[in-house]
Amino acid sequence: MMDIVISMGLTGAMLAMLGMGLLISYYGSSKTRNVGLLFLVVGIGLAYYITSIDDSLIHFGNAFIAFIGGMLGGIIGIIIFLVAIIKS
Amino acid sequence: MDMSANITDWDWMNFFVSMLIVGIGVALLATGIFTSYFGAGKSQKIGFALLSIGILDLVAVYLLTFDALEGIESIFDSDLFTDALVSGVSALAGMVIGMFLILFVLMKVDTVDDLEDLDLEDLEDLDLDEELKKLEEELNQTDNSKEEEK
Repeated sequence: MMDIVISMGLTGAMLAMLGMGLLISYYGSSKTRNVGLLFLVVGIGLAYYITSIDDSLIHFGNAFIAFIGGMLGGIIGIIIFLVAIIKS
Repeated sequence: MDMSANITDWDWMNFFVSMLIVGIGVALLATGIFTSYFGAGKSQKIGFALLSIGILDLVAVYLLTFDALEGIESIFDSDLFTDALVSGVSALAGMVIGMFLILFVLMKVDTVDDLEDLDLEDLEDLDLDEELKKLEEELNQTDNSKEEEK
């Protein structure tokens, strides 16, 4: 259980670092861009660390599709809410 | 990590589908609570409908997972469902922590560009005293014209 918590927690942090790093390094000003590049490097480092600690791709894959499923479900739920409000 | 694992080996039913339904339920529950509390009239009714659908969704997932009622066959494995829920919540928590970390670093690091980088040529050309005199003259002219009209 703790393996899942650690690996998925690091995966979430990695996704945040990579996503925000890309945005900041692309749209940021000269100084902010360097910070964005730093986030990108940290994200890539986290990705390398996650692949090195988790020796089973099936185990990690199951946890990852659970996360993707939850996010997708949340988005679908919000779309249902918006449709209900707009159509009313 | 063995990267040769096949995607079809992953347990889509117990991990993906279960979390998809839970995600829809949580989103409907949250938006339902929000809309039923802050909405008025028709919006409030829609909020109550969303809230009840969200609760029904989550209750259905619980019944289909943990054998709470006799006669209802469980679809999801309870242990795997717990693993899926823990992994989803952990990833979300990780994302939130990562975002806070990013915001903290952005606030601590001096991200404002130096004034040397700014193009100050336009400002240097301005003579502020002259501009001020022009404005005063314009104001005086408008005051005089009003007095003449009276």
